Amino acid sequence: MERRDSVRRLLCKVLGLLLLSMACASAYMNERLVLIASADSPIDQLDSIEVRRLFLGMNVTHDGIRLRALLNEADSQVRSVFLQNVVAMTDTVYDRRVLRLAMAGEITLPPIYTDKRALLAAVAANKTAISYAWERDVQQDKRIKILRTLWHD
Amino acid sequence: MTRHFSRLLPALALLWYFPAVSSAADHEHSANEFEVFLAAEAIHGTGQTHAGDDDTWFDADVLFGLTEHQFKVFGEYYITPDERDLERLQFGWEFAPETTLWFGRFHQPASAWNSEHHHGRYLQTAITRPFIERWEDEQGLIPQHITGALFDTRQAMGNVGAIQVSTGVGYGPSILAHEYEPIDLIDNNPGRHRLAISGRLAYLPEYESGNGAGLVFAHDQVQTASPSVINYIQSTNIVLTVWGAYVDWTFDPWRVIATNYYVDVGLDTGAHDESFISGYIQAERVLPHKLTMFGRLENSSRMEESRYVHLFDDHDGDIDIAFQREALGLRWDFIRRQALTVEISHVISIDQRSNEIRLQWSGVIP
Repeated sequence: MERRDSVRRLLCKVLGLLLLSMACASAYMNERLVLIASADSPIDQLDSIEVRRLFLGMNVTHDGIRLRALLNEADSQVRSVFLQNVVAMTDTVYDRRVLRLAMAGEITLPPIYTDKRALLAAVAANKTAISYAWERDVQQDKRIKILRTLWHD
Repeated sequence: MTRHFSRLLPALALLWYFPAVSSAADHEHSANEFEVFLAAEAIHGTGQTHAGDDDTWFDADVLFGLTEHQFKVFGEYYITPDERDLERLQFGWEFAPETTLWFGRFHQPASAWNSEHHHGRYLQTAITRPFIERWEDEQGLIPQHITGALFDTRQAMGNVGAIQVSTGVGYGPSILAHEYEPIDLIDNNPGRHRLAISGRLAYLPEYESGNGAGLVFAHDQVQTASPSVINYIQSTNIVLTVWGAYVDWTFDPWRVIATNYYVDVGLDTGAHDESFISGYIQAERVLPHKLTMFGRLENSSRMEESRYVHLFDDHDGDIDIAFQREALGLRWDFIRRQALTVEISHVISIDQRSNEIRLQWSGVIP
């Protein structure tokens, strides 16, 4: 009798884990990483090369306005997708590349935001700021406009 | 002690000021720069009584900068147990996109290695820097710091490529017993400092990735009143002219850095003029698990016969000048912005052959 109960409990746990993992997987399904700017920003479009340069801290200007990149590190997946799909570098190569450029005085390192709300507030407050975020985090935010999709699941 | 403390004060002030600024980065957009490159090293070398000048057990390289519109202030303060130096202090005006005119003390652009890695150990894959790229206070044979003006520009070529032109003009180092003495911005400046010119013309096929190849040139006029130097080289003037070519190319998972310099040494009496060639090639390969394997060959021609080269050997129990070196190592970037490296090498110097093993931890904060 006791053995049957313990088998039942184990089955429940396995089922629970299975359901939880399915829920997590569905949460990341149809996920989109989007390039964002302030709703007041005059910028409407940036091509892939400009985006890559911008997030390496390099000089990118539009109509005489120098753009500023803000790095979103609010979660580990956003950083991983950014590295793979935006700058196309491993984390070590990216870090060493931007540090070398900063060491040469060629760039100022893009500031890192680990808090999602602080990042969105910073983007909203600065017409020259460009960053990236999950679409679900910004699509209802009237202070932010989406410039383009950088990656989708 | 008081002198050391006063030299440390600017660094302490910066350490106090900049973390306060960078901690605000999560709240406001900022154009300040503050990074500290740290490294700790252990070395064992056969036939050497103490670690080399490039092998301090600990060093910290403090990088600081401020950008306001088109104007920049940028500096690098280097700290070891024996040394505290303001290695660079530059005031820049970016008067056109990717075109900056700098004033101050800077690293001469003709060094392929130093203009890429500067003093930050974490940035170079290997532990050691090639002997021909050594700094002045490590018995370096080529002056590396100029105090004056530096013009640097990158002009787009096609969609992703660029041409880089970099030219520096100013005061170079004086020379004392066994080493060059560049102008020190916060301490005494013994000796006379004369004209130094340095330049680089490079092709960057994909600017963002860091690949590049180019030609470099440097011309240094050095005057000395040091009796030991005059006695040794029979000249009060040295005119050093350097021509070089380099390539730094990554083709995943490989990276190759190769450089060759031709160095002409002009002395008072033309009959004693000398020249030598020195170069190196370093290959790196990225492996799984954040490991990078690397190997480097350094070689030279006519350095052994050069009196100018021998002038820099201070016979203090370490290896100051090497004619040849083979190095092999493994780097492990075990955590973000931190690495452990092991390097073994075989060195042929002026008076001995040595086998060396080095272990290094390097990192950068924040």
